[in-house]
Amino acid sequence: MEDGRVRILFLPENRYITVDRGENLLKAAMLADVHVNASCGGAGSCGKCRVVVEKGEVEREPNPKLSEAEAAQGFALACRTRVLSDLEVRIPLESRIGDKRFFERAEPQPAVGHLLSADEWEKRLPAWEPDPPVRKVHLKLNPPTLDDNTADAERVKRGLAVQEGIRDVVIDYRALQRLPNLLRQSGWDITVTLINTEEERRVVRVEQGDTTGRQSAIAIDVGTTTISAELLDLKSGEVLARASDYNAQVAFGEDVITRIIYATKGTGLAKLQSVVTGTIWNLIVSLVEKSGVEYGDITHLVVAGNTTMTHLLLELNPRYIREEPYIPSATFFPWTKASELGLRIAPGVYLYPIPCVASYVGGDITAGILASGVFNTDKLTLYIDIGTNGEMVLGNREWLLACSCSAGPAFEGGGVKHGMRATRGAIEQVRIDKFNYEPMIITVENHKPVGICGSGLIDALAELFLAGVINEKGKFERDLPTDRVRVTENGAEYVLVRAEDSATRRDIVITEVDIDNLMRAKAAVYAGIEILLSSMDMEVGMVEELLMAGAFGRYLEIDKAVTIGLLPDIGYDRIKFVGNGSLLGAHLAALSRGMLSRTQDIARQMTYLELSKNPDFMEKYVSALFFPHTDLDAFPRVREELERIRSERKLYSEGGG
Amino acid sequence: MAFNLPVDTAKGKIREVVLGSGDKSRKVGGENILPFHTWEGEMPNRPLLAAEVLDEPGELVPALEKALGEVKGDPVTWAKKAQDEWGVDAIALFLTSTDPKGTDAPADAAAETVAKVAEAVNIPVIVYGTEDLEKDAEVMKAVATRVEGMNVVLGPAKEENHKTIGAAAIGYKQDVAAMTPIDVNLAKQLNILLTNLGMEADRLIIDPTTGALGYGLEYTYSVMERLKIAALYQDDSMTQMPLLANIGQQAWKTKEAKSSEDEYPEWGDPEKRGIMWEALTATSLLMAGADLLILRHPESIRLMKKLIADLS
Repeated sequence: MEDGRVRILFLPENRYITVDRGENLLKAAMLADVHVNASCGGAGSCGKCRVVVEKGEVEREPNPKLSEAEAAQGFALACRTRVLSDLEVRIPLESRIGDKRFFERAEPQPAVGHLLSADEWEKRLPAWEPDPPVRKVHLKLNPPTLDDNTADAERVKRGLAVQEGIRDVVIDYRALQRLPNLLRQSGWDITVTLINTEEERRVVRVEQGDTTGRQSAIAIDVGTTTISAELLDLKSGEVLARASDYNAQVAFGEDVITRIIYATKGTGLAKLQSVVTGTIWNLIVSLVEKSGVEYGDITHLVVAGNTTMTHLLLELNPRYIREEPYIPSATFFPWTKASELGLRIAPGVYLYPIPCVASYVGGDITAGILASGVFNTDKLTLYIDIGTNGEMVLGNREWLLACSCSAGPAFEGGGVKHGMRATRGAIEQVRIDKFNYEPMIITVENHKPVGICGSGLIDALAELFLAGVINEKGKFERDLPTDRVRVTENGAEYVLVRAEDSATRRDIVITEVDIDNLMRAKAAVYAGIEILLSSMDMEVGMVEELLMAGAFGRYLEIDKAVTIGLLPDIGYDRIKFVGNGSLLGAHLAALSRGMLSRTQDIARQMTYLELSKNPDFMEKYVSALFFPHTDLDAFPRVREELERIRSERKLYSEGGG
Repeated sequence: MAFNLPVDTAKGKIREVVLGSGDKSRKVGGENILPFHTWEGEMPNRPLLAAEVLDEPGELVPALEKALGEVKGDPVTWAKKAQDEWGVDAIALFLTSTDPKGTDAPADAAAETVAKVAEAVNIPVIVYGTEDLEKDAEVMKAVATRVEGMNVVLGPAKEENHKTIGAAAIGYKQDVAAMTPIDVNLAKQLNILLTNLGMEADRLIIDPTTGALGYGLEYTYSVMERLKIAALYQDDSMTQMPLLANIGQQAWKTKEAKSSEDEYPEWGDPEKRGIMWEALTATSLLMAGADLLILRHPESIRLMKKLIADLS
């Protein structure tokens, strides 16, 4: 055991995994790809995930499904057990999958994750110093005399020029109004806050004395569904607090199109603007409360959002985004007074929206390209952000090509019978046994299952397919020896959670209709990827790195996303998660004027490819309406996996069944 | 200087599928060239012509009634006439009697008809249902069992009923014609589903759905051409099955083929018009890459035989 990490060996699989001390044992089994029956998502109510701890220490939470005598014999409920030391854990027969022969032969093998580590972040970006785009300068000015009778404002400008070499400064009207009294009250000892970018040097606030030690900024990702924000200390560059909440605009439509329609009716635009500002204001209040900074310390906000979200926040008419030829009001936006948008944080607080590329490739993507260092790499990189729209960028430091396809809300749980967002009780990980078709599920916060979120759906699809419960077309095999697959008047479905194990007291199912919707969403994304590549005369195999951003980035399992053909099969080690790239990009731009000006370079550099006019899109889309894809040659690892499973199943049916 | 045709050699090759068994068998496919590009490679089997035979023909246009005469009422003599007098390579027996919207004849009775026809002729038999998903599945299962070992082609297997028809074909060693709605990817996907089921790829024929002249011919043409190019030049194994063109039925149901001279005197002789409509559809699809043509009228069969002989 080192650095709080412990090693768990699962028997009889003979597979080990290294996890943090204190990790949940069921979660560890999932990470190690070891099957333990679990139907309540880790709520401790089904009692099916019994394992035997043969060596090592664990902490068992008392549970009526496990008697003290059983605990004394080493039994534990995996979902109610925390790992305290190196362990050897045996999965007993009743908690295990049908056949053990295949695993007893297997060598111990580590299970690996793919999340981008902090070290990797460092390497991706060019060297940069914290040098915020909004800067505080402490000035001690000489009081005016009959000989030196320069006006107050010009005296401040002279001070900035002499002391900092900052010239061609304008002073905001409000700051100018306060200047004469403030200068004299402070004894000519002031702190000037100015926007200090290549295009603009504008004094936005003047304070008494030296306040340069206290400066913070807020980075905000305005998503269609979720808004996330970070409060940053500009001296240290540290994140002082984080907060996120649903975008309250969701009540007016789940996707950008319905919001645009709402905005074009009556006072809809003003309404949506005030609603999103309301959500942002609540987040700011929460950040300030959590961190203890003063509102007056906040000097600027940097916001990254898709083109429609940016329009709605700035109350710009989004109508022409939706109508052919799809023209936004602007892709580059000015520094805007936060108070004019209804965010009255402190005098002279400005907001900078990260520039967009086109109607359906927005500032969130620009920010993501910045944060993930795609603009700074020699490697051919594919950046994918999957939300309601799937946006994709292909390129490197020399060129960037972007497109957007409407994947639909399926991966966010929309259009799926028991779909939901990744909140408490959402099934986020799924395994389905390849012999008895029983599920193993884990939910967010180990709460009783309520529904299935995006990552859970991807897992479920991949597992149903690998287990042979659904075929390549996403249709159920209706004659399997399990009552989990059943036929209703609307088609077949798979019962993932039975009513008695669910929080909703009804069965949680995945239907053929759900699978169709997910199939269409993944096909749109993959077809977009193919069009991007083919328009550069490139092939999938040439992609050296694939970066995946998006809300479900944290939970999504790469191999499952590849198995269903959402992502190309370019080797799991070449695919990495970036999490919320949009927020991270806004964060960097808030800390560094160099980074902020990079966002402009990136937005200018990116070429936008309109898919609706592309004659090949439909062809590639139909080809992708298949698990993993009609062209199985493009998915060699999935093919290998399928062949392995099929021969296992054959051996199993010949040997035991 | 003499002119040399440019040669573009393909990487792939169409699978050679055996229709029928023993002395009654014929081979279809096997070429590694685009249609009749004989200077570029091999075409071991010229495209095959199958005569359409209906077990319950109903009323036909006068041109067909005249050509069939008495055999119209009996699929066995009809098939024999097609073999002996018209010289076709195969019989395509359509079990129209099983249509649930019509007579809805039981599967066993239809299977019996198939057996009689298959025993009476010494060329292979292709058996088609009525494109009713459930009934076809039931009928083909009965047919596969009844003519076990005769290696007939069962069809059309569609995505929705491919499992039943495929399983019957695997169990009783028959071929399958897999039908999809005019789309390269869908055709390929159905072949993958069938082979995953355990069907040998060398027992599959692609029916990409036929549109007659003026009624979607260009779509069928384009899909056949693209399937052939994918099979030959991209060596895509799941598109390398021979292509079937179901022409007779489609050509003879067009307004141009079935309208009388009273209705459209300016269109001329309806007999000639119908035959030309069928023959022109067939000619176009031969150029697109069809390996197996199902035709209705003996005169169009004669014309196509001559054309194929001239081009081969």
